[in-house]
Amino acid sequence: MYRSLLCSTRLFITALDAIDSGANKSAVVSCNKLLKKYPKSDLLKALKALALVRQQKVEEPIALCDEVLASKPTDESTLNAMMLTLRQLGRHNDTVIMFEDALKRQPQNEELALQTFYAYVRTGNWKSGQLLATKMSKQFAHNDNYPFWAAMCAVLQANDFSTPPAIREVLYKLAHRIIASAWKTLDGSAERLHLYLTVLRELKSHDEAMALLKSEQGRVICSRSLTCDEIRRDIVKASGAVQEEGEAAKARILEQGDRNWLEFLSVLDAHCPTSGEKPLPESVGQAREFFVKVAEKDGKKDRSGLLAQLELEKRARAHGIIDDSSRLLALLKCYLETFGDKAVCYEDLLPYVALDSEDLAQWTRHLQMLPPQTDSVQNIQRSINVHKLLRFNLAQSELAPNAEDARAMALIKQYFEALPLGSELPKTELQPADDLVILAAQIFVNAYHISQEDSYLHRAVIVLEYGLLKSAQSYKIRLLLIRIYRLLCAPQLALEHYRQLGIKQVQHDTMSHYVLSRASMFSLAASGDLTYVSECLEASQVYLSNSQEVKAGRYERHSTTTNTRKTADFIVRAFQGEKYSQIANFTEFEDRLDNSLARDLVKMEHVRMRITHEPINADLIDMEAIELKFIFDRAHHDNRDMQVIPNYQPASQGSFYAQTTILEKDPGHGWLNAFLKVYIKAFKLASDLDTTVEEKLLIGDRPKPSTTADSGASLVERLSELKQEELDELTPDELAFVRYATDLSNWLAPYHDFSRPPPAVVLAEANKQSELRAKGINPPASEAGVTNGAVKKEEDPPAIQEAPVSLIAFFDRMQDRFRQLVSSTAGLYELLHVATLAQEALILFTIETLRFKNASLVKMHKFGALVQSFKGIRARGLDVASEIGKELVKLGEAQCTAVKRAEIVDACKDLRMHSQLTHEYILDIAKKITDSRKKVLDGVGKGVKRIVQTHTS
Amino acid sequence: MSIIRPFRATDQFKFNNVNLDIWTETYGISFYLHYLSRWPDMCSVQETPDGKIMGYVLGKAEGGREDWHGHVTAITVAPEYRRLGLAASMMKFLERVSDDVYRGLFVDLYVRCENQIAISMYEGFGYSVYRRVREYYGSLGRGAGGADEEDAFDMRKPLSRDPMRRSVRPNGRTMLVSAHDVS
Ligand SMILES: CC(C)(COP(=O)(O)OP(=O)(O)OC[C@H]1O[C@@H](n2cnc3c(N)ncnc32)[C@H](O)[C@@H]1OP(=O)(O)O)[C@@H](O)C(=O)NCCC(=O)NCCS
Repeated sequence: MYRSLLCSTRLFITALDAIDSGANKSAVVSCNKLLKKYPKSDLLKALKALALVRQQKVEEPIALCDEVLASKPTDESTLNAMMLTLRQLGRHNDTVIMFEDALKRQPQNEELALQTFYAYVRTGNWKSGQLLATKMSKQFAHNDNYPFWAAMCAVLQANDFSTPPAIREVLYKLAHRIIASAWKTLDGSAERLHLYLTVLRELKSHDEAMALLKSEQGRVICSRSLTCDEIRRDIVKASGAVQEEGEAAKARILEQGDRNWLEFLSVLDAHCPTSGEKPLPESVGQAREFFVKVAEKDGKKDRSGLLAQLELEKRARAHGIIDDSSRLLALLKCYLETFGDKAVCYEDLLPYVALDSEDLAQWTRHLQMLPPQTDSVQNIQRSINVHKLLRFNLAQSELAPNAEDARAMALIKQYFEALPLGSELPKTELQPADDLVILAAQIFVNAYHISQEDSYLHRAVIVLEYGLLKSAQSYKIRLLLIRIYRLLCAPQLALEHYRQLGIKQVQHDTMSHYVLSRASMFSLAASGDLTYVSECLEASQVYLSNSQEVKAGRYERHSTTTNTRKTADFIVRAFQGEKYSQIANFTEFEDRLDNSLARDLVKMEHVRMRITHEPINADLIDMEAIELKFIFDRAHHDNRDMQVIPNYQPASQGSFYAQTTILEKDPGHGWLNAFLKVYIKAFKLASDLDTTVEEKLLIGDRPKPSTTADSGASLVERLSELKQEELDELTPDELAFVRYATDLSNWLAPYHDFSRPPPAVVLAEANKQSELRAKGINPPASEAGVTNGAVKKEEDPPAIQEAPVSLIAFFDRMQDRFRQLVSSTAGLYELLHVATLAQEALILFTIETLRFKNASLVKMHKFGALVQSFKGIRARGLDVASEIGKELVKLGEAQCTAVKRAEIVDACKDLRMHSQLTHEYILDIAKKITDSRKKVLDGVGKGVKRIVQTHTS
Repeated sequence: MSIIRPFRATDQFKFNNVNLDIWTETYGISFYLHYLSRWPDMCSVQETPDGKIMGYVLGKAEGGREDWHGHVTAITVAPEYRRLGLAASMMKFLERVSDDVYRGLFVDLYVRCENQIAISMYEGFGYSVYRRVREYYGSLGRGAGGADEEDAFDMRKPLSRDPMRRSVRPNGRTMLVSAHDVS
């Protein structure tokens, strides 16, 4: 007896150790041995489930979890193991129920109450959280956090998008009552005060808020906590205490040396608000006097005093108060004189240099009189600022391409003159002259934009690459190059520079669009080069890094939660550490990342690449049908960073970013929706999984809806409607493709719907497969569906409609477009755009006709005529695609000739006046460009040819 | 014209102009959330009036009873906003919070021995080298800079609770410790 107990303990410890050290297989073995002895042990089952789920198993742990949950465990170890397992399975709601049940059985157990509360927090179940925390505050009164937890939950519930406005207010009032009764005037907690103030601000209880702020406690806390001070400013503004705040700000500026711009804004708002009544000229005068004093005191040390004068002048002018018409100019000159050697000068002055014609003429003359100097770092910076300021106000009439070219050449000359000043700097430092080369390149790009001549882009690249040789760490130069190389249809070079940026973590979300936007047109996946496919996967890692997506083959159950909510863990920690000020923003952060537009644009591009190199089979179709549908229901946030790229184009022109956007339109919400609709419709038609089957096959909680919009319409209705704002984001060729796809799926839908096997049949097969899996056997992936298709039906099959003529017409159109582009001077990328869309249409045709390859199905439902009508369309598509493929390969070859390189070299001949830009250097870059073009044209061309082969029938 | 305000989780979406600079590391999401869920009052941002991030500081409070102190984990300013006194004002902010809120004895930070600009800047702010930590930044084998690239100076500045300046010493540069001797 004793011996056997000892053995079991040892085994148990072995099992635990194995789990801790990640030896999941041996943990399962130990658990199995023990379970033979103690077949009823919840703990053992939970541990086994955990070890299994960590091996990416699904069916067996699900069954084990269900057993344990049914027995309603209360012991801590079992609960913990279950919590971890359920989380990996995405079953957060079951965790909640498990803890709730346990707590019901042991209502006095504070630890269980806490765990239940955390489970609510993890699932965003704020209402239950609030009720439980309120109860805890009474039951476990020794802990004075609980009332604040309850109030925080009420606030979060109120802020949830699904909470109606009327309830919102009720909830804030509830939060107010809870805090007011728990409040202690000696409490020094900034976080509690912040929560209190948040509630009062929302309820517009300004008097109560101001009283708190003016108390000793409030004053001390706000002087130390930026979060509290931030909300204090809001409340002061809303309560109308603007004058008082203005005086207080003056004291902080003068006595405490505070140079936070917010203090200056308070003074400005007190003396000359931007809106409302016209202020008294005396009041404006007082403010001016004050700012002059600050500026005199600070001199070169801080620029706030001078900038505040500029801002005051701008505001006064807007009110029509002009007592001295020369002051604005005088201030601008003074600022330039004092801070012209700081890089920030241009950006600082931008809001104040949109001048009327009189002032503008004087300002421009002043700037033109300042000679460019390259003799010291300060003077270079000064010259750069002058160039930028002059450029900002250039009129349309001054921007002829040759005039722009001359400007760029002058800057390049100064660049080379200035370079020696930075020659001693270590490699890791930026060169002081960098901006000269950036400016020159932007000017070339503007000339390109106006003339549409690639030669200007070549010139830009030559100088930028040189700039990078000297200033290897300049991410700005790299970003410019990335944009330009894509325009030049040299995507490989763009990608290389992008990789050099060392993008990491969350930056993938904000930056990947620089190379992955519409990347499928550059993808060589069809000819076997998966560079862009892996780039997509790498960029998407940040969204999934914590998730355990459990999915494999057909009918394997799909986990729907992609993120196991790492952020949720930090929200729990913020509750534990009472950092209430962070919680709402953590939630917002998570929402913006999970529902990121960039994320799903990349996903869409990945699907478009995937179908060019993977076999089109049921696995792919089912999986993408499910995944894309979830994406379709997201309310997306656009986190893409377009600001990080500098812009020095004149105010009269589009930004550098806009000028270098390929095909002139960035894909956005509308583009994504249009493409999602195309693919969801196609995959859903082709898939055997209808909605009821899907529901049964998914494991874990469904993603929380992030929108309430469109909830009235059914999915089918929502898919069929194409909105104008979606169409507006498409290029004409994409629009043609979307119309083709719509006509194709409308035509074929009735036949798919008729011949899809009934849900019961599909489910039975799926269950059979998952039973096999639960036993550890991997069922073979089936080619054409579980039942091999054909299931007899009572009713008559739908009558066969003739194919819409638009389908063949689409391929005709693409052929025309392609031929046209080949014989024109349009950008090569446009050629790829048309080519890849034609290829995509062909693949889509295969996806939607796959079901009808099943001969017995066709025979049973008398679809012979339908299948006959596919032939003409496919033949036309194949025809067009073959021509495109052949032509692209030929064009690729043509890139590799000396003639092509010479075109580039010749366009840059005059740059060789600078001895550093040698013929060899220019030729080398020309070669890189033509090589990269050849690679993409040839690769896409060969890919199209390959697709023609695989999609012949 | 710079606004000082709290660092927020969502600033991760807009700090590229600062973080693409090679001296600034972009950490995993958990890193920022960890700091914000523990020391939100030690993390702040400087931004332009139209909301562009100019620089930021991330700090924490740590240590035992004997050496309880504020620590600067990261301080950085985007290249185009340097030499405007932003680092100075962020350091002042962090020192004040370390002193008034956390009641620390001193503030400390690690800096690459080769980062001469930063070292003299900190000296200008009243910091001094307390010890040299070997291979604090790993052995990168980058070569050129030798040990100065991999070693860090641990620099400290005493706060009001250390009027006798017990947390600093004059000969710190010669005090060598290895990376695993420090937390
Ligand atoms: C170090 C860094 C944070 C300084 O930021 P900053 O906002 O430019 O610094 P400040 O304007 O507040 O400078 C304060 C003082 O430091 C000194 N200083 C700062 N940068 C200097 C430089 N490049 N050369 C000489 N002295 C410098 C000066 O004395 C300066 O005062 P002054 O301008 O009145 O002469 C910034 O250069 C940076 O982000 N570098 C990259 C990241 C890094 O190295 N971080 C430190 C790692 S521990």
